[in-house]
Amino acid sequence: MAESIEHTETNHLAAKAFAFTSALWFAFATSFGMIAAGYLIAPDFLGNIEYIQFGRARPIHVNLVLFGFVTPGLLAAALYYTPRLLGTHLYSQQLGVVTAVLWNIMLVISVISLAMGFSQGREYAELPWAVDIMIAVLFVMIIINLFMTVRQRQEQILYVSIWYTCAALVLTAVGYCLGNVIWKPDSGALLGIPDAILLWFYGHNIFGLLLTPLALGVAYYVLPLATRSPLYSHTLSLIGFWSLIVVYTHVGTHHLLQVPVPTWLKVISIVDSVAMVIPVMVFLINIWYTVRGKLGDIHANIGAKFVFTGTIMYFFANFQGSFMALPQVQRITHFNNWVVGHAHIGVFAFAGITALGGLYFVLPKITKKPLYSRYLADLQYWLILIGVSVMAVDLTIVGLIQGNAWYNGETIYRVLPEIHLYYVIRASAGLFILAGAYLGLYNIVRTLFFNPGAAKE
Amino acid sequence: MYYPYFISYMVFGLFVALVVFAWALRNGQFKDQQRARFLPLSQAGPHRSVRATRASRIEVYALFGLAIVGLCSSFAVVIFALWRAS
Repeated sequence: MAESIEHTETNHLAAKAFAFTSALWFAFATSFGMIAAGYLIAPDFLGNIEYIQFGRARPIHVNLVLFGFVTPGLLAAALYYTPRLLGTHLYSQQLGVVTAVLWNIMLVISVISLAMGFSQGREYAELPWAVDIMIAVLFVMIIINLFMTVRQRQEQILYVSIWYTCAALVLTAVGYCLGNVIWKPDSGALLGIPDAILLWFYGHNIFGLLLTPLALGVAYYVLPLATRSPLYSHTLSLIGFWSLIVVYTHVGTHHLLQVPVPTWLKVISIVDSVAMVIPVMVFLINIWYTVRGKLGDIHANIGAKFVFTGTIMYFFANFQGSFMALPQVQRITHFNNWVVGHAHIGVFAFAGITALGGLYFVLPKITKKPLYSRYLADLQYWLILIGVSVMAVDLTIVGLIQGNAWYNGETIYRVLPEIHLYYVIRASAGLFILAGAYLGLYNIVRTLFFNPGAAKE
Repeated sequence: MYYPYFISYMVFGLFVALVVFAWALRNGQFKDQQRARFLPLSQAGPHRSVRATRASRIEVYALFGLAIVGLCSSFAVVIFALWRAS
């Protein structure tokens, strides 16, 4: 069966298109991140060019990381492993390629719109209505492709990665339309507190019900295969999946504990945030038991190395998130750079690094030739790891300084000089990530388009 | 008035989740879990186990060191926040 599937999947064009999309927009996303970091150090940075001033560069950076880099990277891996785990071929490579092309057009329109100031002004939901509709349609196209693949499967049992991938796409397609209030094209928003609740419901679910399940799907596929170890427990993985679906949906309101939202909603968000320990630990115990004693295999495979590191970062993201939801802790850690550090650990250090791992794992398989340079990939790994670690620690310290100052009733302008040095360190750490992004782009482009297959491992 | 949106979404979400769960149950998705563990390996090619090299061990130690520092820092933040805010 394996040979016949390989025979029908000769080109893997859809996975290649999404892999290239991810690598390309990773470079753009980090470039805009660096511009934004520069403005935090020097407000007159770049002479205040209108189109890339901080208020525009920051949402461009965030949206490109979410929809340009991480999601396409994880989808590239999913478009490869979904057919293989189901014993069939992808329903339509052409549909996949068309989706990737439209996805890139959507990203270009997003950047232009935000740069020109067309923003709906809601965090993670800044994109204008027309782009919202495009994103919804693109998710429907991916859903059709993958669900039809599931329908034509030869393997009856759905491996846990398939559950995670399908759930992520459906939940995000629905949640995106709801969270962006697409039935109100003019504002893309409700009014007052209800809008804040809806926005954080959506904003947190973009991480928890899109990036997280897609990343867990990649980890559940890559690590057992790289170490040639059967999954420790498939039953446990399904318990983790269903508990994530039940628990995660309501955690977003923990960002609104200090505003007048209904108390019952706050209580649910706090309880569920702490309960997130269950699906996260179920996953980590399962996957770490699967690879125990196989560190040599993990380090021999650059994709597995990235993904394994992503699992460690997932632990930290969860540890921080669950504790941050406690009102006492949040009095110091919220509404400051601590949350920004937490977001970088969750979105980039966990989901982003896992996406890179998925890309490096599937690239040799979809191109049928070795990675252009293992050395460059290793260098990228360390640049990114050092960059994001320093950035997370730095932002945590800044957050504590700010949180402590707010708590003491200190004014903002007196705190700014104190944290200036940390913004310089943050931008310096960003340079490591920027260098890693461009190295990765070069490596992936060489592997996809130029590598004749003679590169050294 | 925002409750209709949330209630509609919650009812819809619950309904879909229950339908999918019932389908999985009837379709035997929770049976034969032992075989499911091996699904990623079913199409794997030949593989030679790799022994950890000295460099890879150093990398692992560095990673674990990073993880321990991160864990200690996270604990310290929580304790500091609780101490300051209590």
